[in-house]
Amino acid sequence: MTHRRLGGLALVILGIFAVVAWTHQRHVAGELLRTEPDQILKSPALLSAAMRIGRPQYQRHCRSCHGPALEGDAARGVPNLARNVWLYGNDPVDVERTILYGIRSGHPKSRNITDMPALVRTGQIAPDEARDAVEYLQSLAGRPYERSAALRGRSIYFGKGNCYDCHANDAKGVADYGTPALTGPTWIYGGDRESLYRSIVNGRHGICPAWVNVLTPVQIRALALYLVATSSPPPVSAARN
Amino acid sequence: MAAHEEFFDISKPSVRRSMSLLASGALIGLVIAGYGLFTAKGTRSHAVPPEAVALVNQRQILRSDFMTQTQTQFVLPFAETSREQRRTVLEDMINEELMVQRGLEIDLPSYDPDVRTALVAGVELEVTADVLAQQPTLEELRTYYDRHKDKYSTEGVMQLRDLLVKTDASHTAAGAHAAALAAVAALRRGQTLDAVIKKFGLVDSGRFMDAGHADTGDIFQFALRAKLDDALYQATLALHDGEVSDPVEESDGVHLIAMIKHRFPVAQAFEEASNQVWTDVKKEAQAKVRAANLAYLRSRADIMTAPEFSR
Repeated sequence: MTHRRLGGLALVILGIFAVVAWTHQRHVAGELLRTEPDQILKSPALLSAAMRIGRPQYQRHCRSCHGPALEGDAARGVPNLARNVWLYGNDPVDVERTILYGIRSGHPKSRNITDMPALVRTGQIAPDEARDAVEYLQSLAGRPYERSAALRGRSIYFGKGNCYDCHANDAKGVADYGTPALTGPTWIYGGDRESLYRSIVNGRHGICPAWVNVLTPVQIRALALYLVATSSPPPVSAARN
Repeated sequence: MAAHEEFFDISKPSVRRSMSLLASGALIGLVIAGYGLFTAKGTRSHAVPPEAVALVNQRQILRSDFMTQTQTQFVLPFAETSREQRRTVLEDMINEELMVQRGLEIDLPSYDPDVRTALVAGVELEVTADVLAQQPTLEELRTYYDRHKDKYSTEGVMQLRDLLVKTDASHTAAGAHAAALAAVAALRRGQTLDAVIKKFGLVDSGRFMDAGHADTGDIFQFALRAKLDDALYQATLALHDGEVSDPVEESDGVHLIAMIKHRFPVAQAFEEASNQVWTDVKKEAQAKVRAANLAYLRSRADIMTAPEFSR
């Protein structure tokens, strides 16, 4: 008799808990969406909620390309997200935008301002000039380089190759265009001579899908915050691939 | 047994318990139905949902779009923008939404060609978005290349003269043909082009004047195909530097091609053509999706055509 009474009571309590948990979840989701992303990063409670929602989304949807630890894959041109280097800006708002609409995803709002042109294939520069440009990039990245080739490469960078136009005079890249820094230490397709040469010869046009109709707004916000919060700045020391 | 003990003892029937459970069930059902009714997509809402900054006639202006617009307009991180700046952006976005809604209200797409073009482009983009986002694997690219190898070669380029013996009142078809044959023979014996042109009264057909200079300009093979009839085109493809074709009769006279310089197409290896292969694979996939979408739209559409177009 007492057991039955307790069972009934437990069911009622469980129901109440379920309702409270559901209400709380809705409240947290609302808070995550209404609060500005940079404020969430400063609020341990909200950030922890974002991490709780964002981590499984990463594991389910992003891990297959970006890897289990956000490390990316240079062979496939998948950016390393673990080093707090963001092509389109490091504000959580920018990261959220990229997740929402993707990069060259075909969504009308996707990030699609420019591609890396195939400078050699299109005949804009010769293969030797591409090799010279690579030497110049090696010099910028603080690696061993051949001086005379690097000097010639510099004039290609600012002249015939028109590289400065997208990658900026200081080769640090431009977030508005989504052009990467060419100074290392992080590289999307690898910073060794051969990878850089291939990028100049064949061009690049990486793609990230749009998640706007797959994930809910709160999942996208949480995912952006998870990425920004998990990522840590790259080491300032010598460049690596 | 006390009344409350009877209520919780589920081994015995209790009218109070039954009524309470019935009432609770009804209440929960009402709450769920009400929640669904007031929060489902498209239903009227009196509160702005958390993912939106405004509702304009029940259409959301998304917070993420608002933040990006603010950043773009003031070239500042969102957190550094002022309340006034945000207000300005929001008002602009509300105005834009109102204009869009008005456009739909007056059925702008039915008569404005620009809006129609934009809509078609937008729908195509939407339909092909998944295809665009998919990266073909190296194996897929190679398979495609192997199946379409003949497509991947450099474009042939030529410098040539398309010379003509006109048929008119003074030249019969037979006479023109004989003159052309003699000219071909003279050229093959090694006489100069200028001398042969002068001797046999040949003229440039003028067909390549807009594709390059008639005598010195480079002409791409694809341009040649567009300019020449098939017989003359086929005769031209095989000619090497300095060779001359057999005479070919056309409606305006008898033609012969004198090839000055011919850079033949060169087949491209997969590595060389990989960029083009990638583009072609994407294009083919997009075309398939586009066709499937149109087939689906047609299958559910009620299309009636005028009698002269009905099958």
